[in-house]
Amino acid sequence: MSEPLLSIRDLTITYHGHGEAVPAVRGVSFDIERGGSLGLAGESGCGKSTLANSLLRLLPAGTDVKGQIILDGQDVLNLSPGGLRAVRWTSGAIIFQGALHALNPVQTVGDQIAEPMLVHETAASDSVARDKAIDLLRRVGLPAARADSYPHQLSGGQRQRVLIAMALACDPHLLIADEPTTALDLMVQAQVLALLDDLKQERELTLMFITHDLSVLTYACQRLAIMYAGRIVEEGPAWDVFAGPSHPYTRALAAAFPTIGDVSSRMAPSGLGGDPPTPGNLPQGCPFHPRCPLARDECLVAEPELRSSGIGRSAACILV
Amino acid sequence: MKRGRGRFIARKVLGSLLTLAFVLVFNFFLFRIVQKDPIGSLFRGRNVPAATLDNLRSAFALDQPLGTQFIYYLRETAQLNFGISYQSRQPVWNEIISAVPATVTLVGISAILSAVIGTLGGIIAAWRRNTWKDHTITSGTMVFYSMPDFWLGMILLVGFAVVLGWFPVGGIVDAGSNATGLSRLLDQLHHLFLPASTLTLAYLGEYTLVTRSSLLEVMGEDYLTVARAKGLRDVIVRNRHAVPNALLPVVTLTAINFGFVLSGAIAVEAVFSWPGLGKATADAIRGPDLPMLQGLFLLFSAAVIVFNLIADLTYSWLDPRVEEA
Amino acid sequence: MNSIAMQRRRATAARVWRQFRDSRQGMIGLGVLGVFVLIALAAPLLADIRELNPVFARSSGNPQWGSPEVFAPLGTDHIRRSVWAQFVWGSRVSLFVGLAATILTILIGSVVGIVSGFVGGKIDGFLMRITEWFLVIPFLPLAIVLASILGRSVWNIIFVIGITSWPSTARLLRAQVLTVKQRLFVDRARSLGAGGPHIVAHHILPNVSGLILANATLAVPISILTETTLSFLGLGDPSSASWGKTLEEAFVNGAMVRNAWWYFLPAGLGILAVVLAFTLIGRTLEDIANPRLRRGR
Repeated sequence: MSEPLLSIRDLTITYHGHGEAVPAVRGVSFDIERGGSLGLAGESGCGKSTLANSLLRLLPAGTDVKGQIILDGQDVLNLSPGGLRAVRWTSGAIIFQGALHALNPVQTVGDQIAEPMLVHETAASDSVARDKAIDLLRRVGLPAARADSYPHQLSGGQRQRVLIAMALACDPHLLIADEPTTALDLMVQAQVLALLDDLKQERELTLMFITHDLSVLTYACQRLAIMYAGRIVEEGPAWDVFAGPSHPYTRALAAAFPTIGDVSSRMAPSGLGGDPPTPGNLPQGCPFHPRCPLARDECLVAEPELRSSGIGRSAACILV
Repeated sequence: MKRGRGRFIARKVLGSLLTLAFVLVFNFFLFRIVQKDPIGSLFRGRNVPAATLDNLRSAFALDQPLGTQFIYYLRETAQLNFGISYQSRQPVWNEIISAVPATVTLVGISAILSAVIGTLGGIIAAWRRNTWKDHTITSGTMVFYSMPDFWLGMILLVGFAVVLGWFPVGGIVDAGSNATGLSRLLDQLHHLFLPASTLTLAYLGEYTLVTRSSLLEVMGEDYLTVARAKGLRDVIVRNRHAVPNALLPVVTLTAINFGFVLSGAIAVEAVFSWPGLGKATADAIRGPDLPMLQGLFLLFSAAVIVFNLIADLTYSWLDPRVEEA
Repeated sequence: MNSIAMQRRRATAARVWRQFRDSRQGMIGLGVLGVFVLIALAAPLLADIRELNPVFARSSGNPQWGSPEVFAPLGTDHIRRSVWAQFVWGSRVSLFVGLAATILTILIGSVVGIVSGFVGGKIDGFLMRITEWFLVIPFLPLAIVLASILGRSVWNIIFVIGITSWPSTARLLRAQVLTVKQRLFVDRARSLGAGGPHIVAHHILPNVSGLILANATLAVPISILTETTLSFLGLGDPSSASWGKTLEEAFVNGAMVRNAWWYFLPAGLGILAVVLAFTLIGRTLEDIANPRLRRGR
């Protein structure tokens, strides 16, 4: 049995801004096996993007990152600057959200895909890099001519594909997809997901998929981890968690989002009222209790730890 | 795309021509209101028979109705005939042309230096935001930008030329000098140093401020995080991704400022007796030598219009996002 | 104006003041400005105005080109007048012209900008065409030309500066009015049958007044520097002694060659201090009015 590709232990991330300490991630641990896929779900502000960015140490200077991140056998948090740069994009790459802002407006799309190849010397020359970039564009379903386009000339779906192509430029082992289908319409979402699935199989990628849309994750991932207020509150095989959630939050989340491809479920009312807590201002005890339909007095006492809720499953709720 | 680009250029050029036309009209009417009797003013204090004056007046169409005078003015302007200077009694055009090289040299060099130094300062200040480097650069340039440029010139002049004697106190070459070739050039550079330093110091603040805020805005963008994620070194991220995006407004600013090159140093040239358009303006004010002022004003305005056009076109060429619409 | 609107306005003013007080650069600017306003107001107490009269100066037995060691506190000029007196009384003129010219600039600029933005259509196009035109004309040459033609007086200078500086204010205001116009409540007010002037007064003005104030504060330095330059070039009012005029007289009468630093240094420092003060205050107000800018500071 080989080592997991990604192993996270007690990851705690605290932002320091304007004299305040904001705990965005509070003691997260999980593994992703080689060739596996983990979906990370939660509402905005739960810490999932912070966690994703921390894997390649992309958080702003001054952010406090404690714990352990082992990626591809490397202790990421203790790498030298040179070692870190070598690991970035080669061991792990991120597909950022496809907003216009993730691409440099004054550089052609082809150049942006080719750039990491030249930096990491996975392409021998500019022309080789350009050819490889065009190959990647074709692989994600875009014509070769697009290599000379600027980001503003592409549609949202096309930009997302460019970001996927760019992430694959150095044949990474771990692919982190941060909200890759948000802000895309339903049909394009399905296409992008299918593409990711194909690529994963083709290149034997390990996938970490981050989103707030639970239904997307069950399609794409083997395992699922639900985050709330900076911690994982439920974890387990994707379909089991979705079909039979242990944690009340997961239950609400599953009901809030439609099944992909099923138009009628999109119209179903969301079951979750209220807002997620602000990271600096967590409620007493279980952070979910103010919105939890099953909350009782014991919930205010202490924050529940993850406990087993089935085979290979765990949830952080006293009711489990 | 090419066709739209052509239409874009045509539209901008047409706009500039229209503005130039308005300037011509404005120039004409403004000075016509004041110059009640240009011929009389020109020969004031000289003993010239009235008949001669009348002949001159009709030669210059000054006894014609305003409309005809305007046509005359347009025709003369097109032939670069701007009248005669009251003070030197030479054609205004000649006076202006002989003063252009000195100003272009002084302000051109200062504009380039202030753009380069100021922009570099702004890049450092933004990249090292809120450190002592940032505060020093920002405060320092703000102080220089807040003082009258000619006053800074006076201080530099007294300090380095009068007290220390390192530099001459004015002019473009040593008086009575017959030097030619290299030694003449060196002499000119020697004279150029203080006025150029004055202008550079006074105006680099604008570049620093604009570059700094532009770069700070860019620094918040996601594509910089993406660049870092790809494994690029910090310096490369800054120079290849951040700075090119931040420089777009700076380029426009530079081009626009070059338009103000001709009129940018009026008071400073006066302080250093630099024989350029600025000094010509300062001298013309003391007359008032209205034909000179009229000609100078037209030239200054035309320069600004032309360089604004260049700035527009350069920006649209550099920024791929500017559409034909 | 009803009491609710008054209350809200008072609350906003209090909030702005609180935020201003927290800003170090703002308080420094305010402090420096305060000092100079005091000097200007207390001029008669600080220096005898008769010292500005060359005949009086001569009869007082003042030295010519006296350095500060010889004649406290700031020495004398080429016609024996006290430089300190010129500095103190000059502050009045420079500040007055700076403020008056700015008021004129803001008045014209605001009216044009607000009308242009609010009314829109052909009037907007026309006004913007004029604004663009003014922005293209080089500012100092235009001021010089106008001042030469109009003659040398304080009011002409104020007029010239106002007439040449309003375009950038107009453009700024118009953009802000357009933003405000897009907000819902203006449409709601319209649908309630409110007329144009009412909307302008009660909805547009309160939302642009912050911007006007910040813009005005940043326009004062430009007015002061322009007056200084125009005076230095000889276009100032011969009978009033602004700091710019002091610099002109120093230059024309050879203060530099004599290294009579006491003659031209104080006036310039005064201008520098006042301009910096207004700039700091203006930037602070801008930060308060538009917090998004603070990120970029």
